[in-house]
Amino acid sequence: MTAIFGSEIHRAKADVVVIGGGTAGLNTALAATEAGADVLIVDKAHIQRSGAIAGGIDHFFAYLNTGEKWDTRDAYLGYVAKVARGASNLKIHEKVFCDELVPTMERIEKAGVSLHQPDGKILRTQALGQPGPYAINFDGKLLKPKMAFEVKKKHIRTVNRVQVSNLYLHNGEFAGLAGYDVRNGDFYEIEAKAAVIATGNTNRMFKSQTGNPFNLWYCPANTGDLHRAAFDVGIELANVEYVRLTIVPKGFSAPGFNAFFGMGGKFVNGLGHPFMKDYHPMGDKAPRNMMVWGALQEVRAGRGPIYVDVRHLSAKDLGHLFLQLGIDKDTLPEFLKAKGYDREGTLIELTVSEPMQARPSELCGSGVKIDETCASNVPGIFAAGDASDQMGCLHMCMAGGYAAGKHAARYAATVSQFRWLKAKELDDERNRVFAPLMRKAGLAAGEFENIVRIVTTDHFGPYKSEVSLTSAITKLNSLDRFRDELKANNLHELMRCHEAMNIQSVAKIVAHAALARKESRFVPYHYRSDYPDTKEDCCGLVVVRKDGENSVATRFERLQYAA
Amino acid sequence: MTAVIDKGKCNGCELCALYCPLDVIHMEDGIAVVRYPDECWHCGACRQDCAHDAITFRFSPAMLGI
Repeated sequence: MTAIFGSEIHRAKADVVVIGGGTAGLNTALAATEAGADVLIVDKAHIQRSGAIAGGIDHFFAYLNTGEKWDTRDAYLGYVAKVARGASNLKIHEKVFCDELVPTMERIEKAGVSLHQPDGKILRTQALGQPGPYAINFDGKLLKPKMAFEVKKKHIRTVNRVQVSNLYLHNGEFAGLAGYDVRNGDFYEIEAKAAVIATGNTNRMFKSQTGNPFNLWYCPANTGDLHRAAFDVGIELANVEYVRLTIVPKGFSAPGFNAFFGMGGKFVNGLGHPFMKDYHPMGDKAPRNMMVWGALQEVRAGRGPIYVDVRHLSAKDLGHLFLQLGIDKDTLPEFLKAKGYDREGTLIELTVSEPMQARPSELCGSGVKIDETCASNVPGIFAAGDASDQMGCLHMCMAGGYAAGKHAARYAATVSQFRWLKAKELDDERNRVFAPLMRKAGLAAGEFENIVRIVTTDHFGPYKSEVSLTSAITKLNSLDRFRDELKANNLHELMRCHEAMNIQSVAKIVAHAALARKESRFVPYHYRSDYPDTKEDCCGLVVVRKDGENSVATRFERLQYAA
Repeated sequence: MTAVIDKGKCNGCELCALYCPLDVIHMEDGIAVVRYPDECWHCGACRQDCAHDAITFRFSPAMLGI
């Protein structure tokens, strides 16, 4: 290759390579290091601020055994079984969350982030279908940088600003990966005995409320890069048929839902009437999908817009609410003020957010199918956090990320030597990765990505049917011909080109998985207009796997719950 | 929608450009510049990391208007 980019090649080896240095990935790296493994973290951004909690986080779900009947491990698992029925595997949940919960909370405090309020008490709120207040409110604004500091203290090797472009196997087992530095164009070839995928979900897949694809509830840097790469090497994915949505402030897709309704805000329609009791017995404390479903029905019936009414809250509670909103999303309070929502007597307008490829509940994940040891079906490849099919949200990414690190290190210790990375494959990958920079003219990543978003939103964002999904797959496949026309003028645009292609690839997988689930579940996250009912015999996972070029094999794995 | 950097206050420490999760802030002539304003997530990490109060946020007409 004669180009400047990619001419500098870095080769590295590690027992465990952690792909993605967000919440889950950093916990994975800490655990694997403590278990004696030589660890390397590869992050597309910088571990100091990458991932979902870059700017802050304000709640952590936990049961605390306080003596209340809802506050036990069994009661919590009962909640998981009820709210995440058909998506959460309870045996895995116990291993990756319950068994890890106490040390995880200790780890957070030890890192210098208190789960307590300034008065020393723990403040908990209830929402999202919980039988009691499981959400610990805390100031997690510095949680990410503090965890990054823990990683630095342990001298864990970290490569920032490197986008992993592909995974490689040798005789069916993990061998290594390739990637490139999005700031300087260097190419990376990394051999490792085990890998942990912790790269979140695919958040830029659907149209957003303002039309700007970066105005999203979840991190727009998460573009399914490793969902695609994992799928391409034969890794099974699960829970990917679900299209997640939430309720966000109108104009700004930011978190706040849990704070608004946890603090006692009332969800009202354009007529000023509370409506959630019409859709769920828990009203405004219903599971998230039902809150979204209720909002969609009200708007469709002409009773929009929708609002959160906080006028009845005391000045003290309102103060706490705005404080919490700013902890979860640094810039949200000033946005709400700019809209005039801090004035007394004002309703705060909300809307249904953009859809995204992500978990149907806070109690599971959407992505690489894992077992009780966080392992995928490919030996040596593990997954953690949102990128796995069984973990999501801060509490599970902290706890389950750590579990994944322990298991990956244990596995790596059983591997005597590194497997082969083939020179020809790496050369081909280097040419593929930098190709958009070589073109004199072509298609911009944003234009390609926008076409994907129009197709996904029109055909399964979120309502879907066999006809809409089949048509979406045809259209998404037809976009393949434009991949070789993608043009990047610099490395930043090159990253966006690869992200756009990954989003398109994951969109196809999502559509195939959704076709296979011939029922509706977690409505509207999987609402099939041709199969509108939830069926007991569909209580389980749709598992997808690559089956040749543009072909997807699906199977069903039943999940059992106590009666 | 974007972070806005006050060139007069920026001392070129590079922390915002180093950490920005969306790769929208880069250094130009020793000063941090929001090179890709349309790709800002408004996470506020840059502002939190700036020791010189050089960063504020501007909400787009679409965010404020719809």
